[in-house]
Amino acid sequence: MRLALIVAGLALAAAMPLLAGEFWVTLLSQIMIFGLLALSADLLLGNAGLFSLCHAAFFAVAAYTTAILQVRYGASTALAAPAGILAGTALSFLFAFAVRTRGVYFILITLAFGYIVWGVAYRWASFTGGDNGVTNVPFPAIGGYRVANATQYYYVVLVTVVLCGLAYRLLVTSPFGLTLRGIKSSESRMRSLGYDVGRHLYMAFVLSGLIASIAGVLYVYYNRFINPVAASFPVSVEAVLMAIVGGSGTILGPFLGSGIILVLRNWVSGFFHYYTAVLGIVFIVTVLWAPQGIMGLVARWRAGNRGEGA
Amino acid sequence: MSAVILQAVNGISLAALLFLLASGFTLTFGLMRVVNMAYGAYYLLGGYIGYSIARRTGSFELAMLAGGATIVVIGFFVDRFLIRPLGGNHLAQVLLTVGVAFVIGEVCLAIWGGDNLRIPTPVWLRGAMELPGGFYYPKYRFGLIVFGTVAAVGLWLLYHKTQIGAVVRAGVDDREMVNATGINVDRLFALVSALASFLAGMAGVVGGAFLTLNPGAEWDILVLALVVVIIGGLGSLEGAILGSIIVGLLDAYGRWLLPEFSYFVLFGPMAILLLFRATGIFGKEH
Repeated sequence: MRLALIVAGLALAAAMPLLAGEFWVTLLSQIMIFGLLALSADLLLGNAGLFSLCHAAFFAVAAYTTAILQVRYGASTALAAPAGILAGTALSFLFAFAVRTRGVYFILITLAFGYIVWGVAYRWASFTGGDNGVTNVPFPAIGGYRVANATQYYYVVLVTVVLCGLAYRLLVTSPFGLTLRGIKSSESRMRSLGYDVGRHLYMAFVLSGLIASIAGVLYVYYNRFINPVAASFPVSVEAVLMAIVGGSGTILGPFLGSGIILVLRNWVSGFFHYYTAVLGIVFIVTVLWAPQGIMGLVARWRAGNRGEGA
Repeated sequence: MSAVILQAVNGISLAALLFLLASGFTLTFGLMRVVNMAYGAYYLLGGYIGYSIARRTGSFELAMLAGGATIVVIGFFVDRFLIRPLGGNHLAQVLLTVGVAFVIGEVCLAIWGGDNLRIPTPVWLRGAMELPGGFYYPKYRFGLIVFGTVAAVGLWLLYHKTQIGAVVRAGVDDREMVNATGINVDRLFALVSALASFLAGMAGVVGGAFLTLNPGAEWDILVLALVVVIIGGLGSLEGAILGSIIVGLLDAYGRWLLPEFSYFVLFGPMAILLLFRATGIFGKEH
């Protein structure tokens, strides 16, 4: 049943460019990219119980690296894209020291870390282009194959995101992933069972930075330019919100959340100038009335059905 | 040489402003365990209200009072009806108050627009004064240092030398015990929260006269205040004083010496400090 649903979903996603216009295809690419970013933040939140507010940093560093290499140094995609992912992940090795702290301190420190990257992107104008950022990023091209339009790029995003989703599933169901869940529910218990909690959290942080970096590279080829907004605090906190709206601790949830938020943004921006206020209300409503997100509602509904059946 | 001193005075005047914001944040956290990310927005809204009042009446003092008082009212409703239902869930508090900050920020944008606004300084603090050593410094910034010092000393005395302060300190250490001794903890929370809101709103007016008020300023100032609190230790008044001075100086010298990397200068020492002392200088485990 679940497998059938997933296969049907994938088939629908693959057929999407035939069914819908370019607007929807572009929007879907965006939803998948930000869903991947939300998923990366949720690796920490949903599995390890750590609330990170700096994932836009890895996202943006990867995007900037790829953009600068490709645009300013004429590097090929085969070089620029892996370099971007590497740069974002390298940064996460550094920021991962935040796992020495817990709770409020972790939240505040990751927020401050995120601001460092934003500050550098914004102020180091000679290298990053400052407010204007890096423009004219070409579509990716590897070997003789060149992505020519948004529809073809949609498939690149789809394949990458599905592969990441599969890898993510392997990760969270592995002993490593289960250990993270154990740490989330009781750190002291895992510690007394002999697990190296610090190292597990550190690794989780780095892996999460890796996924965010992949999303960043996908984003820069999608958006074709990058500026400091990508590194800003709202991007980080929106990623966490997406994960929670969809359902934290699940794989589909962050993508659902990303879909809801981005469709809402596109719709609201059409007639209301102050979209951020609407986003703020979504934050408030989610936290107060749907802390488990859509997937939580679905799970409750299914549990209810099963209860009646028995 | 004189530039070094000038930057030090600049740093201290920023520290005075940061203290007004950070002290409220740290005390409400210490007492109520509430992380309120809307303090930056409180600052901005307070500043804008002060701007309108100062424009209309020409009175800076009235602007400070009005900015602070408005935020007391808003802060009360946010605390009572939005934050309290969440219990002690920091994650939910952060998300919710970020949402509140977004809404307040957009309301400000709708009312006051996107331009950089600056509140006119009071007449008696306009112009420059001569400091020992023969250089001139804006009177207003000097007044800010005096004001911040008075506020710090006042809060310190209130916190350490009065009965209310003793109850608050007891509440920071052990909330349940204070409740059990028959003290109305709810009223105590409301009181401290009102004080913190007032300081934040007033800080917006004071800060709006030498920084500018513009969309986005709420996050810039909040992050600085958070660094103050992280360095000093959550819940500690002394930490807020020391942290403000450290952050103010780092920011002033960072902007002067390494303008492109001033955020590194600010956050680098913080990161190193945290590696050795994860709860800040005066903080305790929470």
